[in-house]
Amino acid sequence: MAIVVTVTSGKGGVGKTTSSAAIAAGLAQAGNRTAVIDFDVGLRNLDLVMGVERRVVFDFVSVISGEASLNQALIQDKRLEQLSILAASQTKDKDALTEEGVGQVIKQLADMGFEYIICDSPAGIERGATMALHFADHAVIVTNPEVSSVRDSDRILGILQSKSKRAKEGGKVNEHLLITRYDPVRVDHGEMLSKEDVCDILAVKLMGVIPESKAVLKASNTGFPVILDAESDAGMAYSDAVARFLGEDRPLRFVAPKKQGLFSRFLGGGD
Amino acid sequence: MRPVPKIRLNRYSVMTLEWPKDSESLENWLRRQRKMAPSLMQEIAIILRPSVDHRTEDVRQAVDTLGQLGVGLIGLTGDPCHRVTAATLGLSWLSSNTGSAESELGPTQEAEDSVRETALVMEGPVRSGVQIYAKDRDLVVIGQVSEGAEIMADGHVHVYGRLRGRVAAGVGGQTGAEIFCVTFEPELVSIAGTYCGFDQIPSNLRSARVRVRLDANAQVLAFTSMG
Repeated sequence: MAIVVTVTSGKGGVGKTTSSAAIAAGLAQAGNRTAVIDFDVGLRNLDLVMGVERRVVFDFVSVISGEASLNQALIQDKRLEQLSILAASQTKDKDALTEEGVGQVIKQLADMGFEYIICDSPAGIERGATMALHFADHAVIVTNPEVSSVRDSDRILGILQSKSKRAKEGGKVNEHLLITRYDPVRVDHGEMLSKEDVCDILAVKLMGVIPESKAVLKASNTGFPVILDAESDAGMAYSDAVARFLGEDRPLRFVAPKKQGLFSRFLGGGD
Repeated sequence: MRPVPKIRLNRYSVMTLEWPKDSESLENWLRRQRKMAPSLMQEIAIILRPSVDHRTEDVRQAVDTLGQLGVGLIGLTGDPCHRVTAATLGLSWLSSNTGSAESELGPTQEAEDSVRETALVMEGPVRSGVQIYAKDRDLVVIGQVSEGAEIMADGHVHVYGRLRGRVAAGVGGQTGAEIFCVTFEPELVSIAGTYCGFDQIPSNLRSARVRVRLDANAQVLAFTSMG
């Protein structure tokens, strides 16, 4: 049976889509057949981050409405054989997502042999977001180390444990915390919440800490999931996070300020 | 065998709204209460007990007002003079003789009533945006209560964890209700409608193990450390 992983946050702009792309690519890299679905109907972005924007013919809504088959709409990634993408519709709105429709698509993906189904949730707590988390077995909560993002994550965790299918059936969705855009220098200066503060407020097991990195923006703009950039700190941090999700025990990296050499300190470098 | 409909006698506990003559208007009262407990008297059955001195027109207006505020009134009770009013308003009439029963049984009966139901036990964390209301009973939360969450009970409230949200005990007016908490950092504390915000909590008790009671004479909350 396929495992449904919803990537959500409540707040917008914290890195849900970047993280969805990275987690999906990481799971596929580890040899799992993985599908990633963009639930942000009307504001589709995942196709850009995955670099498949020119290959979208049919989308999630056209499958739900029966205009296309799932096979026609799934886009196979060119870098990772195990990875497929289901894009959101740019022209429809989120009311097009129905519980039955979404459930059917997830079931079909499972029947096709996909092991992981990653649901990239839109921001907010409205229909798109609740549909994205409805079928979740696991939820990755993406949070920036600042108070409003943390509070919104807390809110979405509450919704997850009351409105999801698992919760309604008396179970619990597995929660994983992913802190993104973490800047250890600013944490040291007290300008940013520390990872300990965030974990303390949310009381969720930490899956990873992704450092603020120029590699992320560059990767998004070139349609290349940052996790495939094995040289970058963000790429390595995402790899660690995916490994932890799969049960591996890895120490946190990139969470302490870089030690600057004398030269770079004088020259103002070190970035 | 096809199932057939059945009639059964079931007992339900239903809230009664006591409405004394010359009290403040029900609308003002309810709006004020809802600032503390926004879901008060919503989605539950309510019976209105007007006083014997209320006129039919007063009752009609009160029923309208409560309807507009989303109160699910199912009937009237009290003095038989309101029986006809209930019929004209399309409400049920619940004949009651509790008026005499109360005076006969006195306070012991009340004490028994208050312990009849066991506490509602919730496993935390209670997340931001989540509301929990333990009606007619105590509430026990195991774990933290996040900022933006609301926990309420008609009885006592116990929190075995960090309390950062809003907390209200004695929501139904029980002035003897108390709050117990192991890490006390609430946004708002209320007992039987008397409330105070985080700023008014003695700063030495923040994050401490705290017990909160209502000093009924002074109408202020009394905070004490539990060491």
